[in-house]
Amino acid sequence: VTGRAGIEALNVYGGVACIPVAALFAGRGLDPGRFGNLLMRRRSVGLPFEDPVTNAVNAAKPLVDRLDAEARDAIELVVTSTESGVDYSKSISSYVHEHLGLGRRCRLVEVKQACYSATAALQLAVAYVASGISPGARVLLIATDVALVDAAAEYAEPATGTGAVAMLVGDNPKVLAVDLGAFGTHSFETMDSSRPTPEADVVDVDRSLLAYLECLQQSFLDYRSRVEDADFTAATFDYRAMHTPFPGMVRAGHRKLMRELAGASAEEIEEDYERRVAPSLAYPGDVGNLFSGSLYLALSSVVDRVRPAAPARVGLFSYGSGCSSEFFSGVVDGDSTAVLAEMCIEERLAARRELTFEEYERLLPETNRCLVPERHRRLEAGRWHEVAAGVPRPGPLLALRAVEDYHRRYEWI
Amino acid sequence: VDDERVFAAVRRSVLEVVPEVDPSAIAWDRTLDDLGCNSIDRADIVTMTMADLAITVPVQEFRQGQDIRSLVSLFRRYS
Repeated sequence: VTGRAGIEALNVYGGVACIPVAALFAGRGLDPGRFGNLLMRRRSVGLPFEDPVTNAVNAAKPLVDRLDAEARDAIELVVTSTESGVDYSKSISSYVHEHLGLGRRCRLVEVKQACYSATAALQLAVAYVASGISPGARVLLIATDVALVDAAAEYAEPATGTGAVAMLVGDNPKVLAVDLGAFGTHSFETMDSSRPTPEADVVDVDRSLLAYLECLQQSFLDYRSRVEDADFTAATFDYRAMHTPFPGMVRAGHRKLMRELAGASAEEIEEDYERRVAPSLAYPGDVGNLFSGSLYLALSSVVDRVRPAAPARVGLFSYGSGCSSEFFSGVVDGDSTAVLAEMCIEERLAARRELTFEEYERLLPETNRCLVPERHRRLEAGRWHEVAAGVPRPGPLLALRAVEDYHRRYEWI
Repeated sequence: VDDERVFAAVRRSVLEVVPEVDPSAIAWDRTLDDLGCNSIDRADIVTMTMADLAITVPVQEFRQGQDIRSLVSLFRRYS
């Protein structure tokens, strides 16, 4: 394959509200000695008028608004990847397509495989674009989710975020030119975490960490079997972006592979981590785990932190419980820096309203029922909208207004 | 491989990953969590013990909150 394909544009929606992780530790009485393991500063918090549809639209709108009519009509496929479905049959992408005002000559679909699904969709989209069967085609891929955690989640509560990452995939990949054919995969059935009902996240932390570490190693070894001379060190990858359930997990995975595959000393590992891995953790440490969007939040963090001026190769690792994983790579450069800077991701995350622990607790009974099917529901007009009103943003925000005969109704605020 | 040898391997890994733990606190009925190990420490201890014993236990076999006795019996099953 000689074509180019990858991510043309990318935007993050990390909500309009957040809570300092220290406040959550204090409020829940969690052991402050474990604060350092998480490497989290703040996490995004959803509001009652937000759901996976609004998160997706609010992430994608700034991307779509920048396209001219012709470029918008080239979007032939809208994919949402999520573990926060709102209906067993109807996709989130059908709502997203409507509220973004996209053309009717378009495929709509939703995909699921925990935090891995966006990568599966990205690889299929890249292959579709690179195949040349529809020249100039674009795919709008949106990883969108909501947090369903409370005190029972213990140390996962401060690490779980909410929001979405929207990506335009096409043949002019200014943000990330995917290395076509350079990938490695590793998947097997296991019950490490799941969402068996619309209100329950079930996680076995120990099994999940071990599965993540095994998948990182095995998917990289599979990558190496396809890419001659590939090396886990800086010789092959200038930077690394990985699925980030919490930044401490990425640090541990990096340490393990550098020790086992590169034979690096503790000092070398630490220096290498600061240079090649830490840039990917700035946004995840400020937003929390964005589920299948997490890897792409980490990628945006690399670009915004490093601000590359020349081509640099990023090694990407995607993991989704259950489990499926992939190690792949791509190239970022000065265009990535310029295109991502237009989205002002850092400024918008900084502008989120910080909630107190009391406000956060008041929200939970309502926001944790976000995915529970209801035939009729009307949200009290304007409630919690003042939080959004106080936060500067590029345009109007989509908000849930009501559910009528299971049909979700939205408004712009 | 007997229980005592596997227990000794677990104990070595615990003391290497969390050297501040009181060695006498590492007992059959304690969990790694009881010993103050965070999730990353626990994964490191399990990984190091498997390397030490030259065994591979499928990840599906592990679960949160296992005491050292059940960890030892799991490692024995795959040794």
